[in-house]
Amino acid sequence: MTALLQVENLVKHFHVGEGVILSHLSKIVQAVEDISFHVDEGETLGLVGESGCGKSTTGRCINRLLEATSGKIHFEDIDVRKLHGKKLKAYRRDVQFIFQDPYASLNPRMTFGEIMTEPLVIHAIGTRRERETRCKEMLQTVGLNPEHIHRYPHEFSGGQRQRVGIARALMLRPKMIVCDEPVSALDVSIQAQIINLLEDLQRDFGLTYLFIAHDLAVIRHICDRVAVMYLGKIVEIGGWKEVYNAPNHPYTQSLLSAAPVPDPDKQRARDRIVLQGDVPSPIDPPSGCRFHTRCPIAQFPICKDAEPELRQISLGHRAACHFAKNFPIPERTALTHQLREGDLP
Amino acid sequence: MVPVLEVDDLHMHFFTRDGVVKAVDGVSFTLEARKTLGVVGESGSGKSVTALSVMRLIPEPPGKVVSGDIRFKGESILAMNERDQRKLRGNRIAMIFQDPMTSLNPVYRIGKQIAEPLRLHKGLSKKEAWVAAAELLDRVGIPEAEKRAKDYPHEFSGGMRQRAMIAMALACGPDVLIADEPTTALDVTIQAQILELMQEIQARTESAIIMITHDLGVVADMADHVLVMYAGKAVEFGTADEVFYNPLHPYTWGLLESLPRHDVDEKGQLCPISGQPPSLINLPEGCAFQPRCQYAREACQRRLPGLVEIERGHLSACLFSGDKQFLAESPRCAYGRAQE
Repeated sequence: MTALLQVENLVKHFHVGEGVILSHLSKIVQAVEDISFHVDEGETLGLVGESGCGKSTTGRCINRLLEATSGKIHFEDIDVRKLHGKKLKAYRRDVQFIFQDPYASLNPRMTFGEIMTEPLVIHAIGTRRERETRCKEMLQTVGLNPEHIHRYPHEFSGGQRQRVGIARALMLRPKMIVCDEPVSALDVSIQAQIINLLEDLQRDFGLTYLFIAHDLAVIRHICDRVAVMYLGKIVEIGGWKEVYNAPNHPYTQSLLSAAPVPDPDKQRARDRIVLQGDVPSPIDPPSGCRFHTRCPIAQFPICKDAEPELRQISLGHRAACHFAKNFPIPERTALTHQLREGDLP
Repeated sequence: MVPVLEVDDLHMHFFTRDGVVKAVDGVSFTLEARKTLGVVGESGSGKSVTALSVMRLIPEPPGKVVSGDIRFKGESILAMNERDQRKLRGNRIAMIFQDPMTSLNPVYRIGKQIAEPLRLHKGLSKKEAWVAAAELLDRVGIPEAEKRAKDYPHEFSGGMRQRAMIAMALACGPDVLIADEPTTALDVTIQAQILELMQEIQARTESAIIMITHDLGVVADMADHVLVMYAGKAVEFGTADEVFYNPLHPYTWGLLESLPRHDVDEKGQLCPISGQPPSLINLPEGCAFQPRCQYAREACQRRLPGLVEIERGHLSACLFSGDKQFLAESPRCAYGRAQE
């Protein structure tokens, strides 16, 4: 199967403190540093990591909401980074975006109808009446009342607004949607409604998702494959079963062991790996393996000096750790054993 | 033994231009020393207002305690005068707020802010309070505490700010520590650090903790007792084991069922609760959860269920929680203890 989206060696640097007066303080934030992955047609790839790991930046680069510093992004046969003008517009028809905050991403002065037909107007699709019909159909598809077409966002709750955000992304019948934390602003019961909706839509419209989130349970539920990011790097990537049941990178293990499970017995029995300290700054990331400053199994000098490559563990499952194959971690055997049995998230 | 904190049928209403918002409408619980109470519910269910009411931090008007009582070691907080209340607040009862970015004052040094309760309540001198503040920072795991006490909040990371907040709350050795979503703004690995720290502190200081959160995982980790809230009312109260493994209220069933589970190997369909939470100004007749409840019957629209003790120490506010046949219909597949 050919990949729908192919990302190779993507790099995104932000310059901070640029300008005339403070130019001597200029620094580079290495938000995304040399990452590669692909997304197959019809699948969901999850990007998971803590804040500042570069997952949203990656999504935005793919949509050309941000310009990548270097690297290749191929969608079908198109070189996305070279697109401009009409071709870029056509590309954006195929790749849509769902934003995190349903309060900030809908214009409060536009009605739902105006918000949802705007993509059609921009791409000059259909007559006014056709657009309205399509908008009403879409409202129904996402579980809202078609009569809501003349209402404003402030009249609705977060979950209902997020449905409109999803409907807007679907109006152009895209092939792929980049979902940037689409459920993290919502309450548990509403979150489940939206997750189910996204799954139904994927089936009905044959969509491909790049799903960005920090919630490990949500990612595990919705994704076929998962990429774990840390400080701008992918540290582990593979099918959800491999990544969750047999994590090979110590960061993935720590993340999984840190996320609490809604089950008191299991929670009491758990042997939690608590990472020390904070995530280092991406302005001056640690040398070698970027995780070595917090890693429970780091060995020196190798982890500090040499940057580990993503190495194959099993088919389609890769991890970027010098000791990736040496697991289980000796003093954590019990935990790893549990993880293998799928006991933990 | 007298519990440290008792909340007895509390009704806190807000009188606004649009009508009366019944933010807290009948909440009761008791809290004993060294125990942790987890309060769960969705946004707008009245968790935070309950906490702020205990702290007497709700401005009146628009807020007003319509009925009910809050007792600290048997003494009514509501009946106290402002001076006595102030002696409790930040001293015997302390609070950790959700957002460590906005709840520290950006123009004062961290050390000074931690020293403030010590100066106010313990009457320490400036110098003594500063030394104590540095010790507290050290206790909550801030490296080079003496130096970092001189920092301003913007020089701290999110996790460190939350540690500083905890240090401030602990300054006077409170009997009750109220934590309102203390880890919601933090990343998973930092959340694990903060939860660990709170458990460690509790083991050392014997304080009781009220842990307000929407994350059932955090509750499972921390709580001895769980209070489930919906639309300003307590709908279920019991030990953590009972609420997680033998829940009695359909709303608790719904909450547990709508969570993506990670302890089953296959991915099932999530079962969300349909509809939206009701407006607190215009609550539905009868049971507030009834319009969203898939088990609702006709009687639910007419009668308002009270919080009744179904089993020893396990309370539920559902008309049918005592009905064995009704409970048999509950979606047992979604929870229950792992089979050993």
